[in-house]
Amino acid sequence: MQQKLYDVVVIGSGAGGGTLSSRLANSGADVLVLEGGPHVNTRSDFNTHALPFEFPSRHIPTMRPGKPGFDGERSRGLGGKTMLWNAVALRFSQRDFKGRQHDGTGEDWPLDYADMAPYYDRVEREVGVCGNLDHLEDLPDGIFLPPVPLKCTDIAIQKGAAELGAKVIHVRKATLSRAQSNRPACHFCGNCMSGCDVVAKYNSYDVQMVPALKSGKLTLRGNSIVYDLAVNDEARITEVRYFDRETRAENAVRGRVVVVACACAQSVALLLMSKSSQFPSGLANSSGQLGRNFIPHITAGFELFLEDFIGKPSENDEGFLDHGYIPSFMHNEKRDYARSFGVQYGYHNRRATGWARNIKGMGKSYKEAVKARYPAYMTFSPYQEMLPNDDSYIDLDPEHLDEYGLPRARRHWKLSEMDMKLHNDMKRRCQEILEASHAQILSISEEPATNHEIGGCRMGSDPRSSIVDATCRAHDVPNLYVVDASVFPSSSEKNPTLTIMALASRTADFIADRLQKREV
Amino acid sequence: MAKYSSDRRQVLKLFGAISATCAYPFAGDDLYGQTVHEHPLPQSPVRFLNEADYKTIARMADLIIPATETPGAIQAGVPEYIDLVISREAQHQPVVADGLRWLDAQAKELGSDHFLDLEERAQLSILEPLCEAADSEKSAARNVRFFALIKRLSADGYYTSRIGLIDELGYKGNTVRASYPECVHEH
Repeated sequence: MQQKLYDVVVIGSGAGGGTLSSRLANSGADVLVLEGGPHVNTRSDFNTHALPFEFPSRHIPTMRPGKPGFDGERSRGLGGKTMLWNAVALRFSQRDFKGRQHDGTGEDWPLDYADMAPYYDRVEREVGVCGNLDHLEDLPDGIFLPPVPLKCTDIAIQKGAAELGAKVIHVRKATLSRAQSNRPACHFCGNCMSGCDVVAKYNSYDVQMVPALKSGKLTLRGNSIVYDLAVNDEARITEVRYFDRETRAENAVRGRVVVVACACAQSVALLLMSKSSQFPSGLANSSGQLGRNFIPHITAGFELFLEDFIGKPSENDEGFLDHGYIPSFMHNEKRDYARSFGVQYGYHNRRATGWARNIKGMGKSYKEAVKARYPAYMTFSPYQEMLPNDDSYIDLDPEHLDEYGLPRARRHWKLSEMDMKLHNDMKRRCQEILEASHAQILSISEEPATNHEIGGCRMGSDPRSSIVDATCRAHDVPNLYVVDASVFPSSSEKNPTLTIMALASRTADFIADRLQKREV
Repeated sequence: MAKYSSDRRQVLKLFGAISATCAYPFAGDDLYGQTVHEHPLPQSPVRFLNEADYKTIARMADLIIPATETPGAIQAGVPEYIDLVISREAQHQPVVADGLRWLDAQAKELGSDHFLDLEERAQLSILEPLCEAADSEKSAARNVRFFALIKRLSADGYYTSRIGLIDELGYKGNTVRASYPECVHEH
């Protein structure tokens, strides 16, 4: 029997894969999603409401006993990282898409904010994003559900920030502030990143893929680890090869179109692994740029106590973790570096008591000092954009194979002098904001750290310097698309997920159009 | 602080690992005062420390976080937690063994065979200078590292216990609310 030919095979089921596959299935295409991890039941499989003392080691495991998933990169589960994300949903601005035009360095996107705006609108309507209309040029407003009130501690930061010319706005999150599409509003338990068991917080599985199953056009296949994309002489993918995560049995499927959406480094790794005589250094890599231009967000971390709250009674201020956000305020100022930063803060929850070990002293006075500081504790972490450089890239580690015998993705990153100027100024300005907010700073990170993996499959109009075009289609392979943050030519300082979703939704339209015209 | 968690960050960076599922720039065990073990824990762990050592560690925890108007480390099960962590983390074991020997040597100078035999005031006269040295982060002496380890584990164990987190600190989260209240404080 001839093997079934799907219209679209999607590899990965997170923000990108979930948005794209559900849209295409609903438009009538025959879609198969391959996900390396198992099927996870959001409502019953996570330890959402557990407390540390229920476990001898005091460490709360992500999954309930006997429930597989989310214990490694290749075994997360349907829904991918959206199951445990913090749901911050920010639009990029025209400055973010055209950083080179603005700052004279780095890379521009081959598209404008105006190209993306309708797709931001679409995904915000689809999944529900709460936020305030702030009318900021650099952080465009969206189609928002009502914002969630700022916390009392946010007001203290807001006053301090104002002295430095920075704003605290309501955070924008893909979490429902009122019920929508059979999903309840958030109940503010504060356990967002332990798996939202009522799906008030968006995840791609429950919000997009499960409803799309009704179309009869979507097939979800979990525990399927893809390791090779085979191509023919015309540089078209003929077969997607995978094995079963549990039995290791090998299998293959065919699709007119193949979409890679494995979350940045894993997408790059899959393309690097897919070597052939035509593409000896990895699929779609005639430019030699695959894996290059790795530009993760760079963060600093502060821990602090707000003086106004020291000694106050403990209140339930968990909410949905962070309620405020400090948008970029440096981008139009005169400065000796390019790009900018924004600040996420207060996204610890009050189960976080690891700071107590760093309070000085012992005995009764120590105990009292910890108790007094408990309501005043806060984390504060600015995120900066990093410029691409030759020392920052993703490659395969030939020495260290993972538990499935596949080479691990290796991340290399190094900050340039310009990046460090921004980093130091970011830390200095954060410290000034905190001091103006009457904060006692407990700790400041010494070294820059990374978060939000971005880059490696750069989007561009020139096939010599990029992997995919402005529709996310590979220059070299006409039936290959990539939809995750690996395609971002620049990272912005804003959280990437909403842009991944808007791009995926847009690419779904291009693919649907090509399928309809029988171009593929 | 910063010493412990920045070391941890350094380690994360060296391995090039990027937190896959969590947006914190802070490592989870630092933030939450937890100890993440590589292998699953046994259901009912056998006590690792011998009786005398266990009692000495328990006494240290008791002096670091005493029962006051509220229960302290002993009632919160901190000694059991410390024993568990030491049993699972081999790198702590020589530090603890040396530290315990050092405490008894100090006790001998004060005329007792063991730290436990000393009166509370004498016990504190040994521990408080270690606490100050640990707080100043200037000393890397082995006995200071020993104290810093037991203090860290005492704090982690206490404030992640039901008594420490809920009764002492007043954690009120993990509930269902119809809406989030506006701030009504004067600022």
